[in-house]
Amino acid sequence: MLISKLVPKDDMKKLLLVGLVLIGLCFGLFNFKGLASQGEFEEIVLDFREDIPISQIDNQLSAIAQQFNLAPQLNSIFSLPDNVYIVKGDRATLKALQKSPVAKSTEYIEPNYIYKALEVPNDPEYNKQWNLRSIKVESAWDETKGSGVTVAVIDTGISPVPDLKQTKFVRGYDFVNNRETVTDDSGHGTHVAGTIAQSTNNNYGVAGIAYEANVMPLKVLSAFGGGTVADIAEAIKFAADHNADVINMSLGGGGDSHLLKDAITYAHRKGVVIIAAAGNASKNAASYPARYPHVIGVAALDPAGEKAPYSNFGAGVDISAPGGVGTGAGGILQETINSDGQAMFVSFQGTSMAAPHVAGVAALVKATGMKEPDQVLNVLKKSAMRVKNDTLNHYGAGQLDAAAAVKLAVRGQISFQDFFRWLRDNGYLNPRFWIDGGAVALFPKLAMVLGSYLLAWFLRVYFPFTWSWSLLGGLVAGSSGLFFLRGFYIFDFPQVPFRVMGSSIPEIGNAIAGNSILNPLFASVLIPFILVAFLLNKPMWKWFAIGTALGVAACLGVNAVVSPAVWGFGSGAIARIFLLINALMCYSLALLAVKEEQPR
Amino acid sequence: MSITVTGTIQRSDMGAGAWALSTDDGTTYEVHNAPKDLLLPGKKVKVTGQIREDIMTIAMIGPVLEVRSFETVSE
Repeated sequence: MLISKLVPKDDMKKLLLVGLVLIGLCFGLFNFKGLASQGEFEEIVLDFREDIPISQIDNQLSAIAQQFNLAPQLNSIFSLPDNVYIVKGDRATLKALQKSPVAKSTEYIEPNYIYKALEVPNDPEYNKQWNLRSIKVESAWDETKGSGVTVAVIDTGISPVPDLKQTKFVRGYDFVNNRETVTDDSGHGTHVAGTIAQSTNNNYGVAGIAYEANVMPLKVLSAFGGGTVADIAEAIKFAADHNADVINMSLGGGGDSHLLKDAITYAHRKGVVIIAAAGNASKNAASYPARYPHVIGVAALDPAGEKAPYSNFGAGVDISAPGGVGTGAGGILQETINSDGQAMFVSFQGTSMAAPHVAGVAALVKATGMKEPDQVLNVLKKSAMRVKNDTLNHYGAGQLDAAAAVKLAVRGQISFQDFFRWLRDNGYLNPRFWIDGGAVALFPKLAMVLGSYLLAWFLRVYFPFTWSWSLLGGLVAGSSGLFFLRGFYIFDFPQVPFRVMGSSIPEIGNAIAGNSILNPLFASVLIPFILVAFLLNKPMWKWFAIGTALGVAACLGVNAVVSPAVWGFGSGAIARIFLLINALMCYSLALLAVKEEQPR
Repeated sequence: MSITVTGTIQRSDMGAGAWALSTDDGTTYEVHNAPKDLLLPGKKVKVTGQIREDIMTIAMIGPVLEVRSFETVSE
């Protein structure tokens, strides 16, 4: 009160601010140790000068031996010309040496830092886990192993097999038998838990992804592998109420349920990252619960990184991860139980196996301090390895990359700008539909539309005509189609109509198959020619034909430059020439048709 | 709602494994609550049952078909 009377209010505020800044600065300086002090070393490097006589170096070496009671040794026989010697010592010895007269005879005295190779776990069967190498988990372990994060495994339960002995568990619940002890009677849940957090570096069995994370076992599926949505919804709520950070659901079905949807919204609001398998019916939409909002739907990859044949795809798939193929070397190997309840190492396949990979990496990302589930999803998507020409959304944002995800999360928060740019670049801006960025290459599309308008403008300068809806329609149909429709995936709806509507006339020939190689019958002057021939004497439709010819000319022209792949012509010079000639013919066709219109 | 479908019983090796009924038109059902004598790979059967939308499974190979009754179909 006294100070506030002496100092005007505004100055008071300023003073407070300056004080805070100073305190912050001091705190920062005090805590800043620099990068160099973080390294580990047990030895010190002395690099003696080369311009002094060897006898002087020998004197200094014996001085070190006497004064510090150390035995300097050449680092190797190759160190002799450079006079590089090594002594044992810690930070105190290092400082003493740097202050001693010996320092004058050296170029430098520095710690002999120990550089570590990437951590390869000592689990003997780790070499069979192609899946862990393919998601690059080793570099991720340099940052974190998931310590402090809890992953709820909503499944058939988890049995205490030997390779889960060091894994930390927190209290879960058995919703099938209504009891607190949760064991597995199928082998599925134990396997899934193994992928997430199998005991690792224990000289036994195989590794898991977030092996320092806590696992919360929640049993909702019976021995035959099925369970009700009511139990699943309760398990999700249980996990959210008991501080789970990540939920893995390697399960799915066809039924939409309000109860389940509400439980998911509840858990998401409490900050839980929810992951579910996309399903194994090889159909073009994920099953429930993967298809719900706020759930990360995971498709499965084979050992080559291709979509596994059984995996669902299309709507609801956010990312892809190893699910394996077959029950041999191509499957996912973890320790689980057999039908007699005995522990054994078995390879499974399925999107059930792919989901826990994402759950494990989500746990690693959360362990770096990232809290919001939407942020975690963005990191997972943004760091995924994009798959080109993924027109049917087999892979979602791409193939899971643990190393890149953790690095991105550690590097800091994604700024709004980054996020917005990424949204825009990938075409995710439409809130209603999930738009796959890979389906539409936006830039060439815009070039096609603009190009066709430029051509029309060019014609108009020399042969004045009026713009009409039919001309505009023709321009759009010929150049780009309603290209934004191409990335639409609506659940259970075949995607073909969107691809066709989203294609220009030259692209229709390859839109049904969903690839990007142009069909020469469509990507040529043929269709515009037929249209002009039939519509030339119809006053309105004629402009549609002219617009189409101009649009196709622009589309073929852009394709000739950007992606000249034509079926039967390859993707080289021949295809380019074919496209260019046809583009010119389309333009000439439009020119002729417009000339026809002019009064002579 | 009860449905009747004809198809072949198969063992699916998705995840921990499941029983499937592949119908002649290419639909795959996941068989649920089936008596042991139905579950023979390659067996051609006519199954009457109910689609359980409220059940989710680890196999995720198709709609869950809860078996009420079945009869063997001779080739």
